Amino acid sequence: MMHPLSNGKEGEEIVVRCLDCHCDDVCRLNELGCVEGAQGRIISNQKNVILQLGEARLAIASTLAKTILVSSK
Amino acid sequence: MSKEPLTIALVGNPNTGKSTIFNALTGLRQKIANYPGITVEQKVGTSIIGGVLHKIIDLPGAYSLNYKKLDERIAYETLIGSYEHEEIPDLALVVVDSSNLDRNLYLATQVMDLGIPVMLILNMSDVAKGKGISINPDLISNSLGVPVVAISAKNKSDIDQLKQKISESDLEVPEPLKWGPDDSLKEAMNLLINEWIKPYTNIPESARSIEALRLISEGEFNNAFYQFEKEEKGKSTIKKARELVEKGGGNPMATEVLSRYNFIGECTSNASSITSQTKASLTDRIDAVVTHKVAGPVIFTLVLLFMFQAIFSWATPFMDMIDLLFVEGGNWVANTLPEGMLNDLLVDGVIAGLGGVVIFLPQILFLFFFIYVLEGTGYMARAAFVMDGFMTKVGLHGRSVVPLMSGFACAIPGIMATRTIENWRDRIITIMVLPFMACSARLPVYALMIAAFIPSTTILGIFTLQGITFFGLYIFGIVMAVLAAFVMKRIFPTGQQTPFIMELPAYKMPKWSVVFQNTAERGKVFITEAGKIIVAISIVLWFLASFPKTEMPVLTQTDNTEYNSSFDVTENPESYQLRHSFAGQFGKIIEPVIEPLGFDWKIGIGLITSFAAREVMVGTLNTIYSIEEEDGESSTLKEKLINDVNPETGQPVYSIATAISLMIFFALAMQCMSTIAIVKRETNSWKWPTAMFVYMTALAYLSSFIAFQIGSNL
Ligand SMILES: Nc1nc2c(ncn2[C@@H]2O[C@H](COP(=O)(O)OP(=O)(O)O)[C@@H](O)[C@H]2O)c(=O)[nH]1
Repeated sequence: MMHPLSNGKEGEEIVVRCLDCHCDDVCRLNELGCVEGAQGRIISNQKNVILQLGEARLAIASTLAKTILVSSK
Repeated sequence: MSKEPLTIALVGNPNTGKSTIFNALTGLRQKIANYPGITVEQKVGTSIIGGVLHKIIDLPGAYSLNYKKLDERIAYETLIGSYEHEEIPDLALVVVDSSNLDRNLYLATQVMDLGIPVMLILNMSDVAKGKGISINPDLISNSLGVPVVAISAKNKSDIDQLKQKISESDLEVPEPLKWGPDDSLKEAMNLLINEWIKPYTNIPESARSIEALRLISEGEFNNAFYQFEKEEKGKSTIKKARELVEKGGGNPMATEVLSRYNFIGECTSNASSITSQTKASLTDRIDAVVTHKVAGPVIFTLVLLFMFQAIFSWATPFMDMIDLLFVEGGNWVANTLPEGMLNDLLVDGVIAGLGGVVIFLPQILFLFFFIYVLEGTGYMARAAFVMDGFMTKVGLHGRSVVPLMSGFACAIPGIMATRTIENWRDRIITIMVLPFMACSARLPVYALMIAAFIPSTTILGIFTLQGITFFGLYIFGIVMAVLAAFVMKRIFPTGQQTPFIMELPAYKMPKWSVVFQNTAERGKVFITEAGKIIVAISIVLWFLASFPKTEMPVLTQTDNTEYNSSFDVTENPESYQLRHSFAGQFGKIIEPVIEPLGFDWKIGIGLITSFAAREVMVGTLNTIYSIEEEDGESSTLKEKLINDVNPETGQPVYSIATAISLMIFFALAMQCMSTIAIVKRETNSWKWPTAMFVYMTALAYLSSFIAFQIGSNL
């Protein structure tokens, strides 16, 4: 089941399912390795989210995290 | 509630306590079997509630009704009454984990679409409470439109309360689609239901919308458990429905999920909060603190405070050494070379001017050392992250933090670094306010004024009043930048907001060789680039201040009254010479303009030259005061400033009010030709640099005026 990244729990292992944000943001996310199917872990979620994707650790604004759909692994 | 026996289904995500509640309700009256043909457990029992014997079904755990897994399919099929030998439940008890409310409510909103009465059980209240989450069940009930009861399933009295609530239930069916699909999604659902689901499948009516939503989001009907015909027609209708959603600007895969979560967010926004509970690596643990929404900004401020305190106190011994070196060097040259023009030029022009610059090398080296260490450890990116919320509020962007921080060193690399901000409006605002950040060129002026006029009283054992003033000036720059951004945000039309996203590098020891190399490089650039201009300006200034040569007239006591306005007998010949030099005359011309700020003509000369570059101010004062001083031993510039007396009033030229006014002027005025040039280059127009120059300098004048007038009248 999918849920927005912003609703993820700290420590949760997730798979990125769908990016429903503005095209520019999709591109930036893709560049940083946040592509559909990428697996990662939520490091922190205090409005803004820190997401570990492989070796990369991304800081993502809450507005953007709301548009990234993920599912639990 | 009717006294009829009911079928009550417990539904919820796995591990929310359904079985615990089931056991508590049914006690020993339960039977556990497998669903026919499969290994999923079927748990059915009975419970006497309000004197009536009800049937209780514990459904397999499910995250959603989109039945990716067998468990979910069984739960779903049972709820819509399509499972063999099972009637549609009269009441669905949706069990949610209160400590993870939003995620659990997703399923709840789906069950609410099924046209059966729903009651929400906020279980694990004790766990939520332990995590500091408080939930108001009435608020949630109002916004969801279903009865809500908060319990802890392990608590017997809570179970009694639950039973009470069930017996009071009026079994009202919740409003379907309360989460509010948008028009295009509704249209797509209707199309799919009317053109295919209704005529060609046997899915029960209550499940049609959920199935339509599932098909729209998945785009095909794999693992459908119901019978259907006209598969091709189904596929093309699904395609049409998805196109409708896309036309409405939505992503068919995500629209439903996002709308549901938006609705849930509205329902719970003032009812729940998130806390952390991770087994974490060192980096995670550091991040948990450093990026914490409260601790993060506090740590960031402390880091800055310590950085500036350290710059100020660690650099002092080195600066004293350099000062001494130049003073002694000057004396040596003065005594070794034959008297004359060359001697004057070298000692009062070149050496004094250069000494005034080199002395700040230690502070600049320490500043860059800290910046490179912070960057090298990976902290800089975290600083941007923690400050993003705040930055966005004031009209900037999280990405503005790094350029702004670089602005502490120099506005020029900072302005160049704004290229990482994609949004033009965010970028232009960052550029326009960036020169308020206290760059290293201001440092010489601040350091000189503070050392000369702020007492070095110790506060709280480790801080000195000087260090705090120094820190305060940096904060002042930041505050002005924030205010300016806040105002500009209102002036410039809003475009598409670019949300913050940034990679956070793993924490590591900085590579020391890189740190030292970069720091040394910066120091070199400062000395060569700034040094060149400063030496040139020093020579020009020396000339302007030394010529035309005027002899102080020898006067008698009686003559004095006539010449009273021009000089007094206590004045020394050097001061007289300076006042009548080209520079003195020019300083005098602008004196009326700067007098209300507490500045005399000497500071005036400094202000003019410092429009080339701020640090020139100190070199200028050095040159002016070297020329002015009496022959004999040199003293440091600091001492000269403290001892300078206005020959007309007999009062010291510099009061604390003057020093503060001057520091404020330097904090705010746009006195840097290189910054103007770079802004022109980056914005490709003269409009922005001109606007920048005008508003910053006007603001500086006004603020210094206010500060001096208040300060000198206290
Ligand atoms: N602290 C606490 N633990 C609970 C509560 N309800 C259930 N549990 C525990 O949570 C775990 C999962 O419960 P269970 O009933 O098996 O969940 P199910 O998967 O939804 O059936 C068990 O260890 C229960 O003892 C509660 O209200 N408070």
